[in-house]
Amino acid sequence: MTMQSSDILVGNSQGKADARLDNLGQIPATTGYVDSGKTRVNCKTWQKAVIAKHVSLIFSGFIMVFPFIWMLLGSMKSNDEIFSNPLHILPEHFHWENVINTFQLAPFGLYIFNSFTVAFFTTLLVIINSAMFAYAITQLRFRSRTLLYLVVMACYMLPGAVTYIPSYIILAKIGLIDSHTGLIISSAASVFGVFYLRQVFLQIHPSLVEAARIDGASELKILWAIVLPQCKASITTLSLITFITEYNSYLWPNLVITSQGRNLIATGIRQFFIAQGNYGLNWSQIMAASSIAVVPLLILFIMCQKTILSGIADNGVKE
Amino acid sequence: MLFIMPLMVPLITFWVVPFICSVYISFTYWDYISPSYHYVGFENYQYMLEDSDFRQALLNTFWFSLGVVIPTVGLGLIFALLLHKNFAGSQFYRAVIFSPWITPTVAVSIVWSWVFETKGGLINGLLTKLQIAPIPWLENGNSAMVAVIIVTVWQAIGWTMLFYISALNKIPVSLFEASLIDGCSPLTRFFKITLPLISPTSFFLVIVNMVTAVQAFDQFQILTQGGPGGTTRTLLYLFYQQAFEQYNMGPAAATSLIILLITGVLTLLNTLMGKRWVFF
Repeated sequence: MTMQSSDILVGNSQGKADARLDNLGQIPATTGYVDSGKTRVNCKTWQKAVIAKHVSLIFSGFIMVFPFIWMLLGSMKSNDEIFSNPLHILPEHFHWENVINTFQLAPFGLYIFNSFTVAFFTTLLVIINSAMFAYAITQLRFRSRTLLYLVVMACYMLPGAVTYIPSYIILAKIGLIDSHTGLIISSAASVFGVFYLRQVFLQIHPSLVEAARIDGASELKILWAIVLPQCKASITTLSLITFITEYNSYLWPNLVITSQGRNLIATGIRQFFIAQGNYGLNWSQIMAASSIAVVPLLILFIMCQKTILSGIADNGVKE
Repeated sequence: MLFIMPLMVPLITFWVVPFICSVYISFTYWDYISPSYHYVGFENYQYMLEDSDFRQALLNTFWFSLGVVIPTVGLGLIFALLLHKNFAGSQFYRAVIFSPWITPTVAVSIVWSWVFETKGGLINGLLTKLQIAPIPWLENGNSAMVAVIIVTVWQAIGWTMLFYISALNKIPVSLFEASLIDGCSPLTRFFKITLPLISPTSFFLVIVNMVTAVQAFDQFQILTQGGPGGTTRTLLYLFYQQAFEQYNMGPAAATSLIILLITGVLTLLNTLMGKRWVFF
């Protein structure tokens, strides 16, 4: 027994090594030091390793998405069922009317519309002003541009908390408290956007910009017609990241918006959560509300996951 | 000028000016309603150092960020090692592991608060099945912190994994070939080649995750509201309570500047070490 298991261990490690080389496609799988008898064993253990890898990935992947599954199934259960059988995964009957009832209990459609509007316009502004700023500091020559970049980068480490109180007062002074406009302009400066687009624009060949300049194109035209079309992928990634962050943001919108009808979705579901909690927890409707907030983004992610994942991994940047 | 104004105007109005104001407010006593500020010098800071709430919040912030960073970076690396090569399904697994980051923290924290519920919650239900005594997750200080940490780690793993994937794919293939010819075991290879080469990325990820953890708020508000008895009150939550529940703007501004001090030191450390540690 011990012999066998140690054999498997050895075979296993070599199997993995071969697998790695296989994938790299550099050296043939059977290197000189492995005799043919062992290769067969290697093949088997290699398969075992692959299966083990998939099993562990499926297991951990399941844990990662389980809260979503639990939420969606919970929203389909009746409250009685949740209390009598808290461990049942599948609902006995699918109560679709939960979702409809929840929509009637609070204006979730309006909240989502508000969130989408704010996130959309913030993203638009962020893309425009970050692109212009990044263009200025990468392609235009003027004094103090390093200084400008340093000022922006210094704001990068400024936690939002430091700015909340005075920003609130400033918004109140210009009469934009409790308005979506106020929310949009106060989030319109994205240091992350500048940082991200600066890296992207630095990779653009300067000769392209020079050539356009000699042809007499204005700087705005160069940015619009030459620089931006070349970095469509990065612009898309940045838009998606900004949009998602804005849609999910909670603390600052929660402070700025005070009237019910202008609430964003995050504040909306928190209020619903508290209100439902008051008469004993009505989990099925709370889960329905959470699903209403989460599902639009999951759909967006499923549609754009390739862009988001590769955009983050390739550029090596983090918010 | 035309090109920098669209960014500089909101940046100055909502970042630079507020920062200067915050510094000023931290030296005053102000309740938000009265029109006058009382200049009190360093009193707010002095009071803070003697305040047991502040010291507790500082410690909580420390434990919370440590508790978040270690599992996030560790698990992120494990997933990246499993997924950095392309194989059938790798993209799918990556998307699955990344998906929690996409969703609103408030909404998913509500789901987790159900999972952690003492009576009728999923985890305690499973514990009862396994004949283990149920844990009052959110009603007990230590377990409440653990619960918030679990939610935060769950959301943060995806980002960390993607960064490790890009770092692992930058390691030159020739190094692995050389080690194979020398007959290294995979374990030696991992500790002698992979780990040293991704150490700059690890350092970066530790710092960035820490900065994010220091600024975590949404999950605390939903799951624990800083309770029970202040055991999960971090500095940011203390700031929120001082500023927007008690309207003590002076001490709140002072607290926020301490948060800035922490994130500032971490960011500077990152920049300095980042310059020195680039291997490739």
